[in-house]
Amino acid sequence: MKFIPLFLLAVSATALQAQTSAPEAPRTKSKPIPVLRSTAQLESVVQNSSLVKVNATSQPYNLHLPWQKESPSGRRGLGVVLADNRVLVTGQMAADATYIELELPESGQKIPAKVVAVDYEANLALLESAPSDKQKAFFAGLKPMAVDASARIGDAVSILQTGRVGEIIESPLRIGKVLTRRYNVEGSGFLVYEANGIIRSEANSFTLPVVKGSKLAGLLLSYDSKNQVTTILPAPIIEHFLKDVADGKYEGFPGLGMELQSTQDEQFRDYLGLKPNAPGVLISTVMKGGSAEKAGMKKGDILISINGFTIDSRGDYKDPQFGALSSSHLVRGRAYVGDKVEIKVVREGKEVTLNGQLARRNPDDYLVLPYQFDKGPRYVLMGGLLFQELSRPYLDAFGEEQRSGAILRLTRIATHPDKYEEEGRKKLVFLSMVLPTPSAQGYDKLGGQVVNKVNGKAINDLNDLAEAFKNAKDSWHVIELDEFPHILYLDSFSAERDNMRLLDGAYRIGSLKRLE
Amino acid sequence: MNIRPLLPLLALALLSSAALAQPAPAPPAANQAIDVASGAWEGIVNIDVSMLFPDYREPWNAGQPSGGSGTGFLIGKNRFLTNAHVVSNATRILIRTTNDPEPHPAKIIHIAHDCDLAIIEAEDGKHFDKLKPLDFGGIPQLNTEVIAIGYPIGGDRISVTRGVVSRIDFRPYSHTSVDSHLAIQVDAAINPGNSGGPVMQEGKVVGVAFQGFSGRVAQNVGYMIPVPVIKRFLKDVEDGRYDHYVDLAASDFPIENPAQAKALGISGDGVGVMVADVEPAGSVGELLKIGDVILSIDDNPVMNNGLVRFEGELMDMNEIVERKFAGDTIKLKYMREGKKLEATVTLKRFDPYVRLGAQYNQRPRYIVHAGLVFQPLDRNLMDAHQMRDDTVNYIFDNFLTDKLYVERPEPVVLTNVLPDEVNTWLTPYAHSIVDEINGVKIKSLKDVKTALEKQDKPFLEIRLLEKNRPLVLKRELAAAAHKRIMQTYNIQADSYLGDE
Repeated sequence: MKFIPLFLLAVSATALQAQTSAPEAPRTKSKPIPVLRSTAQLESVVQNSSLVKVNATSQPYNLHLPWQKESPSGRRGLGVVLADNRVLVTGQMAADATYIELELPESGQKIPAKVVAVDYEANLALLESAPSDKQKAFFAGLKPMAVDASARIGDAVSILQTGRVGEIIESPLRIGKVLTRRYNVEGSGFLVYEANGIIRSEANSFTLPVVKGSKLAGLLLSYDSKNQVTTILPAPIIEHFLKDVADGKYEGFPGLGMELQSTQDEQFRDYLGLKPNAPGVLISTVMKGGSAEKAGMKKGDILISINGFTIDSRGDYKDPQFGALSSSHLVRGRAYVGDKVEIKVVREGKEVTLNGQLARRNPDDYLVLPYQFDKGPRYVLMGGLLFQELSRPYLDAFGEEQRSGAILRLTRIATHPDKYEEEGRKKLVFLSMVLPTPSAQGYDKLGGQVVNKVNGKAINDLNDLAEAFKNAKDSWHVIELDEFPHILYLDSFSAERDNMRLLDGAYRIGSLKRLE
Repeated sequence: MNIRPLLPLLALALLSSAALAQPAPAPPAANQAIDVASGAWEGIVNIDVSMLFPDYREPWNAGQPSGGSGTGFLIGKNRFLTNAHVVSNATRILIRTTNDPEPHPAKIIHIAHDCDLAIIEAEDGKHFDKLKPLDFGGIPQLNTEVIAIGYPIGGDRISVTRGVVSRIDFRPYSHTSVDSHLAIQVDAAINPGNSGGPVMQEGKVVGVAFQGFSGRVAQNVGYMIPVPVIKRFLKDVEDGRYDHYVDLAASDFPIENPAQAKALGISGDGVGVMVADVEPAGSVGELLKIGDVILSIDDNPVMNNGLVRFEGELMDMNEIVERKFAGDTIKLKYMREGKKLEATVTLKRFDPYVRLGAQYNQRPRYIVHAGLVFQPLDRNLMDAHQMRDDTVNYIFDNFLTDKLYVERPEPVVLTNVLPDEVNTWLTPYAHSIVDEINGVKIKSLKDVKTALEKQDKPFLEIRLLEKNRPLVLKRELAAAAHKRIMQTYNIQADSYLGDE
């Protein structure tokens, strides 16, 4: 199923003029969808004193020339004022932000803000402004909105937008489905409300609140104008995020670290020894170091319950509020990092109870970074040879078309990292590009080769590489690659000389490495 | 049936304004004028071919009938040389001369896809007995004039175009897309239908026209197969069968980098190329290692970019190997860790790469069982199925580079699941590489047959590479469904495993 983040085209001239800089499309590959004016009769004008406009400037690093940044672009959203004068927006608003400001919809008064907490997997961020008289005055007329996680299938909710002079425009929707789905970065599924109805385009927006009555029911995730289907980041996930932030130490959403296979296929059930109406799904992968593995789960187990909820042959449990729902929500949405978990499995025909503690896998624990914001990609530049650590965003930048060569090889490593993890690699270091220098003569067409060793030392991450370059055995470095041409030699003296030339030379390279 | 003039790589614009704007070429010298009626070119024949394109999606079907036409020429008593691509997948071949409308049925005697050459003969050769075969010349020099003769699009009668030799280089041959040999570039117009026709200089054949570029890519670039490649083919088939090219099956990487030269112990004379990859199953698999430096081949010094000076021209060092035959030897001088070594290598064909190229005159091999279609992975299969699966693409793309052929000489793909009650849960698993069936490791399509015949368990268990669950079918259900599926989907035979 295609996932379309909301990116509405401004249709009125005034809206266009109001923009400070050209908005940038969200980093997913989907086209902005214009929404027609003719739907205007569905909305009504209301007042709401819990909403502020949020203007963020985003400037990501260049993934292929990692010492550079891309051109900055503006993102707008409508944030929700919560307790303690904090403002809730989607994580996208905070991603790679260089400057964030809050703006009162009616008066246009502005105040700078910073990020208190952000979770890019849950796509949520909390902003605040430093205390000052100006800040006090700014928030004086605003009142916090309460979060309401009680919405069910069939409930009416509304999307709020602001008009040109700050008037609130409400588009009514009805929740049709509740499911789990990945938000806007690589990773596991989170709870999502799917609602039906028409949303009118007022301006481009990366955050729009969804309310039930006067309380916050969620934030808009995406709108498919063709099918008039809206996905909503729901209040239960927002509550989870806020509760986690409130204790002062943000830990994120936990996961079990396993993959499961449905057991609806009758012949497969017989093969597994499952009785016709018995519950349970097959555990096909148990990730190393994850909560499930630590609790003693094994590949081939039949998972039958989590925390007392029976798991059916689809992998769903019966949620008291939403009905059948993916079992992943039992852990990710309904539990916290550090919580105890009780898992029942059938192993060799016998029921086994596993007890464990929930943890979260940090993006940095992956061989291939699933996403990266705010920080520049790590790199080492040596004599014109640019080395990087493989990341999903790097691969995604090549698009879907690349089905062969180095990118296919690297993409496959990203989806099947096991072999490389077993070798003890923490990150996958590869030669991403060669800048033309005298010491890299003959190597300029290379790119995409995985680095195995440098000067005899196994390379498990870029720190290893930087270290290994300090220890040339002869007057040259020996770089061993996983593929053709397998060995590169680099004169250690002229590489250093070329490094000096690269710094502030034609390529305007400010630093030869980024290892933080 | 549509007639498709044959010439790979080509879709040439016949008349473009650019062509019109060029100054008119000098008129041919009077002594080169040819009276076609004299019969001087009767040995240059039109070859009309009916063919059947095999269907790799429905491998049990015969395939798509089609047709094409090309050129051939007499090289001996009832022996016509043409391109392999002219007569590939042929079901009927007809020869016509320019002065005689009568079609003469012909058949293939030898076909060499790797160098795109074939020999055909008329079933009744009497008609051609009095014709004089064409003689071969040598490698023409750059900027010397040549004419291309044949039956290209634009008319039915014989055609002549004129140009000069533009370049002599080692080039990919597009018929298989994986073979590269010496090729000569000419600027004489070479169009669809010229394929297989002679390119002549001073009355002698100096090449066989075979490929070009589409007019959108490059202008006036046609290629011919030069005499050394033709002679090699003719010599190879002298014993009555074609044994294919032999190969070093090693990749070289230029030594341009000063540190690289120093580390490898190369002196500054520009001799020596680095070995960057070695196929264990190839001719030098036991001998060379990555990081060795090849210094000379049969006493021809190899330069740091992999070229040798051979017969007066700079050519890829492989050209020396190219001229040889299976079982021949070459003398190799190389350097390892600063020590100069010498060895004599017996050359052999390197088979695994054949799978990566297009193959012809072959019935697709397959096994269907309970609606599950198994086919061997090769280029024909990849081209027919739009494979989106990362694992299948990876295995195909890295079959040689990651030496995957060592573990799995003929990877087998589950290409399709023909929907039926018995396999309805398995349809999402089409386009997967089969790893094991009933505990038998699948290294070739034959292993699938062996594994399916194992009857010791109540379940048929198929493990796929990098997929997270085995596919299982109950034996008795699968057996019952098999007949039904064969009937429903109109499949006459449940397998074709090739000529045993």
